Amino acid sequence: MKRIYVIEDLCNGCRLCQTFCSSLKDGVFSEEARIKVIKIPGEERDIPIVDCNGRCLNPVFGDKTPTCVAVCPTGALIWEEQPQAIEKRLQWESARKTHSLFKIVAPWKWPFPWSQVDSDNENIEEKVGKR
Amino acid sequence: MSARENSVQKILRVDLSSRNTYTEVLPKEWTAKYLGSRGINARLLFNEVPAGTDPFGTDNILYLGTGPMDGLPTGNGRMSVACKGPRGSVAEGSFGGFFGPELRRAGFDYIAIRGKAEKPVYLFIHDGEAEIRDASHLWDLTTDKTDAALRRELADANVQLRYIGPAAENLVHSSVIMGNINNSGGRAGCGEVMGSKKLKAIAVRGTGRIRVADYPGFIEAYQMFRKRLDLATSRDPWTPVWSTYGAPVLARLFTDIGNLMTRNAQEMRWDEEKATRIGSEVYLDKYVTKGKACFGCPWPACQKLYQIPSGKYQGFKGGNYWAGQPVVFGSLIDNDDLDLILVLSGLCNQYGLDVFHVGYTIAWAMECYEKGILTREDTDGLELTFGCQDKDGLIDLVRKIAYKEGFGELLAKGCSEASKIIGHDSERFCLSVKGQELEGIAERNLYMVALGIAVSEVGPDHTRWYPPYPCNPNLMTKEELSSLGIDLDLRLAFQGRNPEEKGKLLRWFTISRAVIESLPGCVFLVRDTLGFDKRPWWQLFQSATGTALEYSEFLRAGERLMNLDRAFHVREGFGRKDDRVPIRMATEDVPFFNYPRITDDVFNHMLDEYYQENGWDLKTSIPSQEKLLELGLDDVAKSLKDISMESER
Repeated sequence: MKRIYVIEDLCNGCRLCQTFCSSLKDGVFSEEARIKVIKIPGEERDIPIVDCNGRCLNPVFGDKTPTCVAVCPTGALIWEEQPQAIEKRLQWESARKTHSLFKIVAPWKWPFPWSQVDSDNENIEEKVGKR
Repeated sequence: MSARENSVQKILRVDLSSRNTYTEVLPKEWTAKYLGSRGINARLLFNEVPAGTDPFGTDNILYLGTGPMDGLPTGNGRMSVACKGPRGSVAEGSFGGFFGPELRRAGFDYIAIRGKAEKPVYLFIHDGEAEIRDASHLWDLTTDKTDAALRRELADANVQLRYIGPAAENLVHSSVIMGNINNSGGRAGCGEVMGSKKLKAIAVRGTGRIRVADYPGFIEAYQMFRKRLDLATSRDPWTPVWSTYGAPVLARLFTDIGNLMTRNAQEMRWDEEKATRIGSEVYLDKYVTKGKACFGCPWPACQKLYQIPSGKYQGFKGGNYWAGQPVVFGSLIDNDDLDLILVLSGLCNQYGLDVFHVGYTIAWAMECYEKGILTREDTDGLELTFGCQDKDGLIDLVRKIAYKEGFGELLAKGCSEASKIIGHDSERFCLSVKGQELEGIAERNLYMVALGIAVSEVGPDHTRWYPPYPCNPNLMTKEELSSLGIDLDLRLAFQGRNPEEKGKLLRWFTISRAVIESLPGCVFLVRDTLGFDKRPWWQLFQSATGTALEYSEFLRAGERLMNLDRAFHVREGFGRKDDRVPIRMATEDVPFFNYPRITDDVFNHMLDEYYQENGWDLKTSIPSQEKLLELGLDDVAKSLKDISMESER
């Protein structure tokens, strides 16, 4: 079953996910949503906390992707079955080690080919360690 | 809590002298006429701050304004701050972050602060309530410490803050209002005015809800808007680069084409290796710890947080390395040490100093030192040379500027005032307009920039007519532009050193950016066709507020704002004589590239075109009665009717 997975380090704290989610029920924008981005006082971290099965009442971008995932600009939110989610996570772990751009955006969000910078892509597990 | 309707805009009035606060509802028709944020701030400023008001007196009013799109995903947390500035005209700027949405959820759209507190205070606004609280314990704290102290005191991680640092408390020229430690706004003097009122900070917390008038319409418009800005779907190849690497990526390109101000703009070309050492790639590789965004931004990481990983300044943290810092703390003072750039700009944020004021004034002082006008006796023993041999001395100089200590007291006045004090013809290389330092963008190779910095009422501010650089003229055909009511030849308009069409292009950019800043929205989000096609914003605005407006009327709100700013400006005695470029740009050619100086003929040609297109008097720049009446600004027309100004042409 597909679920919403989170890569916390990619969250930039924009709150698009939370803001759109809050509006889905009755068209009113607020802080109250099934995904909340929390902050730890004194720390520069943005942490999305999801309490949702991903089946939006009224998805903004198409029928198949949850709204929060669709509006996320960095790729911090993933909507996949578990094996594919692991694959994507590993793809990002590998990408960020080969190019600093992927500290701030997921490779699948970047429109230009990125595999050129990671010619050793197939040895992904070696790079990030065995699961 | 019930949801607030988006068509009603409320203002919180605060009098710091009497410690009174009360709320007013603004006239409903203002939403269609001035939209919100910067537009309504300009209307309020013109109405309530008469000519001749002392900028540091009790009658000057500091406005902070959100608008009907703030708190919605397209508002980007932008808000406008405005007052009468210490240089005598409009002081207005805007910043992003999260304060605007929080203020709207707390039930207010605007804050108007008049009077002066007897001792330092801060304002705490929470869900419809406002309190003036003692801030004696916060006074003199740097912005990072103020942020931490207030968050501890209010014990709420979601509270949003705006504050000033020691520089604004000490009324240092051009000091800014800060938020989230790294977001600054109001460099034309809003920080100084806030300091003069002894208002250290504003804290806000709101849990309210905002209802849009037509939700399906809003979502449809958002999809159109997002498609043009998304990394994957934007037709503008610059979108992904700009939204991740950011503006410092331009440093290396600019040194190749004569756009990089070097050694106080004596040259416009820097060593390419130096430019590479301070560029975006190095910054991202070595320094960036995390991407950051303002509220609801569709871009991954226009802002980024950094930490210096090693060396003498190891562990120093900050954020927002953008277009200004590589110039003002890099090429302008001939410094290719990125550690030093990040420390200097980080310290400016901590003291609440404007990086452009500090960078340009130090560069001016370095040129004075190079020419023997200033000596080590004047600089408290500091070897103030281009190339920055004495890095610690330079770091200490930033502190001295913030506290007006020793040599810092002279530089705290800004290069315009300082050059008048020092004399020896040093005004010739002071790079400022209307007493406000430049922002690092080339004039002699980009004539629209020359015109833009000259005519801006708030002093040089490229966000009023962003983007300063030519866009791809093929994005829209002449026919497509005509269908949007834009009569422009883009190929001609984007030719850097050709004065033709510059007045028309600047007029379009000024009006359309005024519209965006009044919604509010972020003027950086004008990639793809959005630079010229404002219909997505128009539809977002209509669906969010339920205000039906013709597209031409929507744009007319921007023209109204542009005329309100100019009306305030001329009412204070400014006019054509003040719309100038810095002396260096008008008298010196660009070495190596042989770009000529901006001659009077070229400049006057552009200025005439701009005034003429605007319906302003060619000799004085006063908006014509016909234009003001056409815009429905009858009261403004009446108040300008008897203004006389000698011909300045």
